[in-house]
Amino acid sequence: MNASDAALLTTLLTLTLIKATPIAYAAIGGVLSERSGILNIGLEGMMTGGAFTAVVFSSLTGNPIAGLLAGIAAGALLGFVLGIAATAFKADQVVAGTGINLVAAGGAAYGLTLIFDQPGASPQVSALGNAFWILVAAAFAAAVLLHGILYYTPWGLRVRACGENAYAVADAGLRPLRLRMQAVVASGALAGLAGAFLSIGEVNLYSDGMTAGRGFIALAAVIFGRWTPLGATAAAVFFGFFEALQYVLQGRAGWLPSDAMQALPYVAALIAIAGLVGRVRAPAADGIPYEQAR
Amino acid sequence: METVNGAALRMTAIRKTFPGVVALDGVDLELNPGEVHALVGENGAGKSTLAQIAFGTLRADSGTVAARGTVGLVHQHFQLVGRLRVWQNVLLGREPRSGLRIDAAAAHRAVRDLAERNGLEIDPDAFVDELPVAARQRVELLRELYRNPSVLLLDEPTAALAPAEIDRFFATVTTLAREGTAVLVVTHKLAEVVAYTQRVSVLRRGKMVARFETAATSVDEIARAMVGGDLPAIAARQSVELQPCVKLTGVSAGEGASAVSRVTFDVRGGEIVGIAGVEGNGQNAIADAIAGMIPFHGSIEVPRTGIVPQDRHLEALVLGWSIVDNAVLGRQHALRRGAVVDRARARSDAASIVSRFDLRATSVDAPVRTLSGGNQQKLVVGRALIDDPPFVLAYQPTRGIDVGAATLVGSRLIEARNAGAGVLLISFDLDEIFALADRILVLYRGAIVGEFSSAGADRARIGRLMAGAAA
Amino acid sequence: MIRTAFRSAGALGGPAGAILLAFALAAVAMLIAGVSPLDGFSALFLGSLGGRSQLAETLVQTTALLFPALGVCVAFRAGLFNIGAEGQLLIGGLAAGALGAHLNVPAPLAAIALFAAGIAGGGLWGALAGWLRAKFSASEIISTLMLNFIAFSVASYLVSGPLKASAASGAQTAPLAPGAWLPILVPGTRLSVALLVALACAVALLWTLNRTVFGYELRASGEAPEAARRNGVNMARMTVLALTLSGAIAGAGGAAIVGGVLHRFNTQLSPGYGYTAIAVALVGDLHPLWICAAAFGFGILESGGLAMQALADVPKDAIHVIEGLIVLVLAARRYIATRAEAVPL
Repeated sequence: MNASDAALLTTLLTLTLIKATPIAYAAIGGVLSERSGILNIGLEGMMTGGAFTAVVFSSLTGNPIAGLLAGIAAGALLGFVLGIAATAFKADQVVAGTGINLVAAGGAAYGLTLIFDQPGASPQVSALGNAFWILVAAAFAAAVLLHGILYYTPWGLRVRACGENAYAVADAGLRPLRLRMQAVVASGALAGLAGAFLSIGEVNLYSDGMTAGRGFIALAAVIFGRWTPLGATAAAVFFGFFEALQYVLQGRAGWLPSDAMQALPYVAALIAIAGLVGRVRAPAADGIPYEQAR
Repeated sequence: METVNGAALRMTAIRKTFPGVVALDGVDLELNPGEVHALVGENGAGKSTLAQIAFGTLRADSGTVAARGTVGLVHQHFQLVGRLRVWQNVLLGREPRSGLRIDAAAAHRAVRDLAERNGLEIDPDAFVDELPVAARQRVELLRELYRNPSVLLLDEPTAALAPAEIDRFFATVTTLAREGTAVLVVTHKLAEVVAYTQRVSVLRRGKMVARFETAATSVDEIARAMVGGDLPAIAARQSVELQPCVKLTGVSAGEGASAVSRVTFDVRGGEIVGIAGVEGNGQNAIADAIAGMIPFHGSIEVPRTGIVPQDRHLEALVLGWSIVDNAVLGRQHALRRGAVVDRARARSDAASIVSRFDLRATSVDAPVRTLSGGNQQKLVVGRALIDDPPFVLAYQPTRGIDVGAATLVGSRLIEARNAGAGVLLISFDLDEIFALADRILVLYRGAIVGEFSSAGADRARIGRLMAGAAA
Repeated sequence: MIRTAFRSAGALGGPAGAILLAFALAAVAMLIAGVSPLDGFSALFLGSLGGRSQLAETLVQTTALLFPALGVCVAFRAGLFNIGAEGQLLIGGLAAGALGAHLNVPAPLAAIALFAAGIAGGGLWGALAGWLRAKFSASEIISTLMLNFIAFSVASYLVSGPLKASAASGAQTAPLAPGAWLPILVPGTRLSVALLVALACAVALLWTLNRTVFGYELRASGEAPEAARRNGVNMARMTVLALTLSGAIAGAGGAAIVGGVLHRFNTQLSPGYGYTAIAVALVGDLHPLWICAAAFGFGILESGGLAMQALADVPKDAIHVIEGLIVLVLAARRYIATRAEAVPL
């Protein structure tokens, strides 16, 4: 291996970690939500909400940390909306999540014009700079932490029970809807963090469509990772690799046009979810509303 | 039966309505510590509703519920988390902690001790998914016992148990009662009522219509109180010349514990063959293989089949559709005229099912969701029989419906047999098998372990075979 | 209280209630933008209905939304969540554009050829998702969305490479010969016969769903999948067929835009019609005729939105927020049955 190959490999690995990070955050959030029984199709919108809000608050305060926190809060808020729809109204969770995706994409575009008077993309704002490496590391720590929470604490046990049979949880004297609400809000916060990472971590602005389906790739990572935090994170690294590969190959592999290479992560996600035929099982009550008797 | 320090549970003037139905109307019920009390009634009489109000999952519209201490409920359809371990199910919501974590060792110990104390054999570390039905019931019972209930409600506790397991179950219950727990057994199995309880309360159409001291009553008297008169008569069997109809040879199908392995039997035209067995011993595999829903090894020769599936809501009906549209389901290709469905024929078929089965509905355009369970089942059975199939596969055809509807369904099956059709009746309810079948096969762990002509069959022996005894 | 408000909104009846709600939300969006709703609405309606050309433009938008919305309707009625109408539309347009550039036949034949290409392209894209679900249990929710991005990549690559008009032109296919354009209905506007095709499509779809054996089986597999499976419906086949038909109808929409509006293909074909189509289909209560009405309503928003932005200074994207909120609210009506042979998601 010569020096330039080594440099290329380093670039590829570094980029893989960076590209995996937002997918990992969103996927961990997806795991938490789905283990509690709420299908979070709105991850994409929560990322968009987080990305845009982070830019707005970073711009307003000049402080990217404030932006980061605001992005997390925006994701949590959208998670709360999905939670209300899914619990209080027993809404169709897929339709509700799609609504959240549309609201977030439209809202960010509307906000760009309204706040920055600049359709398409925001001006540049102060970004996290090298501090974003902390977020990269924290993604993996978060996966380990959630693993501990889900499998070793009472709350985790209850959340998992909720995703399998909410009625059993209610019979145990617990409140399944509250548990689901907590899980989906946390899920939104994680997706918001993922979005903030995209806008003020990797770059320093928001542009329309910048989440580019990563929320759905995260859903694929949830499945590929078999609804476990560690598995989903590993899957996120896998998808991050293909995204990184696309950048590294651009300009290097002339026979592969760059437009075609942009499809790489999506094709990888498709193959990943299609390659698991008959080998995975979702939480039993995933996506099924809990009908509280009265 | 003497009353110790007043009632453990007192329910007074309970009224509960659901949209369009009065489920309970001024019901009183009193349970004493130390007694095993039966609550009987037909399907739809309001038994489960009353139990759920006592437990607190439902709230009465009016009336009072007063309980001394906690109330526990063991559901008919267990409310367990299949992918969690036994101890996790039992201690859910009351997990012992050490710091932030669950103290798994302490939890394990607590469940093992509780199980030993109550003579309930269980492995605390087993996954509930992997347990047989009887063990799952022990898990649910343990979960309730962990809360030290002064009142224990058991909703159809023996529906999925073999006769031997039923004895064992009631031995536990009797011990609990002796230690002071008030036990309410919600059931429709009157033989168990007479054998194991001290008092009986009878619900009919939401009203408490009778109370008996068990020692001073009989199955007949309770049954008459339940249905409000004599039981309707079932169609008579005629002697029919038997014809070859269905033949299973060395059939293996299904997965895991509920698979069947090299099953061979036949059903002849003009007879009803009953498959007796405890739920989960391979019934699904047999039904699904015959229906062509799952792959199998071996050979199945089967003519055109009318199917009454086990779960009418999930497998047989589109609840949001009308009776007419549902009358087409499964027959859409037979009713095809070119590319379209023959709607005139669908309407006339629906009308004929309605009249032949005395199906009560506002119109044939009424959504099936608005029908009672009995009327829904009449539609399912009517549709299965409408094209006079030479073979009928009936899986639990009278489950969860009232006696009137059940008798009618049973009669129509007997009439189909009298007309020369072969009928395979799969049921977990030995009473249903004895009422309808000409020949009985006993299914245990995926194999046929006994065959009897129902005339003069030894019920106790069949019960032992169902539980796996080499009788 | 919120719940009561929510329920009564639902009780107004799907389409009517949702449209009322849309206006209320639009007013809020205008207020946020610091515009009096009166000015905003008058700009919106004048811009969409205020004259012959405005109305025609509204109907152009209606057409563009109606095709993918009918496509979405087919999938939803079959219990399949196709959120890939955008990609199916794009591939349909790509196929029509690729063929149209070489088309040299009389107008009626050209129209048929364009729609056939659109149907084939969109159908193929839908079938791909159907096949992945039927054969590999891949959730169509993820696959159709992934296929949207893949469609965009494929189209970008083809129009900037193999299908590029000429070295000098931008990333687009060669224009259609004027003889191959879809005939214009109202002279001096962009309104073409595609509108009539879309309406005919809606009627045909209604008949198919309600009268035919195929439609019966499709609805059964959507409303009660396990009952359908046990009563003679081949679920794998139905999944592929429903998603193919769904994609084909959306793809026809791509052909309509290429043949009637752009007269060539480029990747800016759709500003998100395929996503708005989900809102249109839900507001239309998944009923083909109601969907026509809903498409007209959203057509007003799409075409009036620009006027609203120009005249009243309300960002056009506000209407997308409203669409999303409507979808969110309508989710409480629970359209989609959970399929028993559920795929992992």
